[in-house]
Amino acid sequence: MDQRQSLWDFMHQQSGKLLQQTIQHIGLTFISLLIAILIGVPLGIFISRNKKAAGTVLGVAGVLQTIPSIALLGFLIPLLGIGPIPAIAALFLYALLPLIRNTYTGIDGVDPGVKEAAVAMGMTATQRLFRVDLVLAFPVIMAGIRTATVINVGVGTLAAYIAAGGLGEFIFGGIALNNTNMILAGAIPAALLAILLDFLLSLLQRTGRRRRRTVLAVLPLGVLLFSSFYVLPIGNSRLLAGFTPEFMGRRDGDIGLREVYGLKVRTVVISDAVMYKAIYDHKLDIISGYSTDGRLKAYDLVTLEDDKSIFPPYYAAPVIRNAVLKQYPELAPVLNKLSGRINDSIMTLLNYRAEYLNQPPDRIAREFLQAQGLYQPPRNGHKGIIRLGSKIFPEQYILTDMYAMLVRGYTDLDVESKTGLGGTKICFEALIHDQIDMYPEYTGTALLAILQAPAALTARLTPDRDSVYRYVSGRFGKEYDLTWLEPIGFNNAYALMMRRSQTQQLGIHTITDLTNYLSEPQVRWPKAHHKPFPGDGLHSDRKTIPGGTTK
Amino acid sequence: MIAVKNITRTYGAHKAVDNVSFAVEEGENVVFLGTSGSGKTTLLKMINRLIEPDSGEIRIEGRLVTEQRPEQLRRGIGYVFQNNGLFPHYTIEENIGIVPRLLGWERDRIAQRVTTLMEKLRLSPAQYRAAYPNELSGGQQQRVGIARALAADPPILLMDEPFGALDPITRARVKKDFKELDELRSKTIILVTHDVPEAFELADRIFLMDGGRIIQEGSADDLFDRPATQYVKDFFEGQRYIFDHFKNNKS
Repeated sequence: MDQRQSLWDFMHQQSGKLLQQTIQHIGLTFISLLIAILIGVPLGIFISRNKKAAGTVLGVAGVLQTIPSIALLGFLIPLLGIGPIPAIAALFLYALLPLIRNTYTGIDGVDPGVKEAAVAMGMTATQRLFRVDLVLAFPVIMAGIRTATVINVGVGTLAAYIAAGGLGEFIFGGIALNNTNMILAGAIPAALLAILLDFLLSLLQRTGRRRRRTVLAVLPLGVLLFSSFYVLPIGNSRLLAGFTPEFMGRRDGDIGLREVYGLKVRTVVISDAVMYKAIYDHKLDIISGYSTDGRLKAYDLVTLEDDKSIFPPYYAAPVIRNAVLKQYPELAPVLNKLSGRINDSIMTLLNYRAEYLNQPPDRIAREFLQAQGLYQPPRNGHKGIIRLGSKIFPEQYILTDMYAMLVRGYTDLDVESKTGLGGTKICFEALIHDQIDMYPEYTGTALLAILQAPAALTARLTPDRDSVYRYVSGRFGKEYDLTWLEPIGFNNAYALMMRRSQTQQLGIHTITDLTNYLSEPQVRWPKAHHKPFPGDGLHSDRKTIPGGTTK
Repeated sequence: MIAVKNITRTYGAHKAVDNVSFAVEEGENVVFLGTSGSGKTTLLKMINRLIEPDSGEIRIEGRLVTEQRPEQLRRGIGYVFQNNGLFPHYTIEENIGIVPRLLGWERDRIAQRVTTLMEKLRLSPAQYRAAYPNELSGGQQQRVGIARALAADPPILLMDEPFGALDPITRARVKKDFKELDELRSKTIILVTHDVPEAFELADRIFLMDGGRIIQEGSADDLFDRPATQYVKDFFEGQRYIFDHFKNNKS
């Protein structure tokens, strides 16, 4: 009950964003559907008249359908960049098969006696197509359109990964932020949208034969109307920022940038997997990166100084279940061997080797341990098994491999690696539900995403790395029966990044510099328009007091 | 009226129609009689170019059928199918009015023509004009099929086993009403059937076909009394009673 109430609150608070995302989602779905209809139906007609081509065309469309959606987006980014165009292209390709196949099957299924009669009556090919074949194949073609629409609504959530908007922004933001309400605020409208559109189209599908010709004429107009829903996010156009779904929803992210710095920038939501390449290719100007990311070095990016400290420290340390520590007391000293060994620049270099030079994480881990004199060959013990988890990015893989080597080399325990566990939420849930025994976590993530510390407390703790560590390890011990071992040393904090060349050109070194640069008016408006409304600030202050003081 | 010269149509190695020539006079009713696979339907479909011959020529009123656009040609030739071939998404009125509409007749004229034909074929216009084919019985559907072929009053009517799919009682009724149509007086009709009594009943002249060729042509008397080959003789064997029945009815 409580959960439902707060979901409603979340959706209410975010109603503006929710509406925008829903509209973008409908727009994305229908633009790609429209293109798929314009190409798929004629192709279906073509192959129903040229049966020799049918096998090839259906085969190619079928192969496209089997490409996993994330992979398809990956293929399209080098060709089409980021943003709505590759998203629409991917959705279009998925919608193509059901449309071609159902048009073909529908026309092919028309009674040959009726087709021959149409010829014998003296109908031309065009008359036969529009008065007989398409009208009689209509229910089957509509079934194809319904399938394509539902596929598009589902796959459309992935558009959020490549800066094309849609309800995926909430879904992936929620997964990254361990925020169930946020996930549901994206997932429920997406599911409802699929059901609703399918239902509306099913009404059209069942129209009588008499009204079908009207529907055939009106349907494209409706699709066109819905397509026009897709409007690109607009705002300050001097620079374009690409933030991950997670960053968008965090106080130490987009929210903090707006509230603390007053940063106003045109923003698109994008997956961290494509973000670095996009800024390198000048598709973006500002990104939300991690300060130890290897691509920072590879793409010659610089981090902007967080002069108002909104980004809390993100010191990495292994988080482990107390039960395991008790059962195998030899474990903690072994895992702590890494403590203080890796600073920011070493971690950046290790990440660079994984992300840019594509070296396997286990090789990077072994070579590092060897260089540090920490490596010992495995003892092949069978005393027990430690289950290591990791999130789905290279730094976590490298750390997990190092821990696996240390455990095998210094204890009689064996290791089972469960790497690539999505985001924070998935790792943490796996840990407290006894699916894994430990994984490397970051103090800032624990503070904000897992413990969801209130804003005032966060602001107080943020400037001091030790106080954040003490706070999270204290609460993890009390509330979850987990222990934070010693920090590894590096701070993988959130940071705003820009191309080095652009920062030099614009003279931007801190986030405040960026804010000032962006708020320089490009066009001078008359003074009166610029002035805040008297009492505006007072009013907005009052709004933050729960219950209000007006009673 | 219709002159067919040396037409051949092959499917792979099989000669469906093998070098056939014949002529049909204006207003004549001819029947192509033969077993299934004898080539009679292929022959019929070549007249309105549903099937194109490999060689040979077909003239209608002296003009080669290939000189016109096929759609144009077909709109001037009525065609009745064995399985009616009605459009399931058209009402009875729309089905009957297809060819007049293609020819650009005015609405009122089409409606009037539909009423006339429905009455002649004993289909109550009030009850059935807005109905769909699947709401009609098999016999009624075939009546609509005939009305559709006659709608634009074409001089030529091609009929492919038009009564073949009906049960004997319905067939007799539809055939009776069909024969009484005054519309047919002036028409040149080519009908294809495997049914010997039907051929006796409807034909001025019969072409007996086998293996893609015309074996013998002539009146029922000719074929019966003077069979050209043993095949013709065998074909009519045992039909003497029916033959006499029709002969007596005619005289």
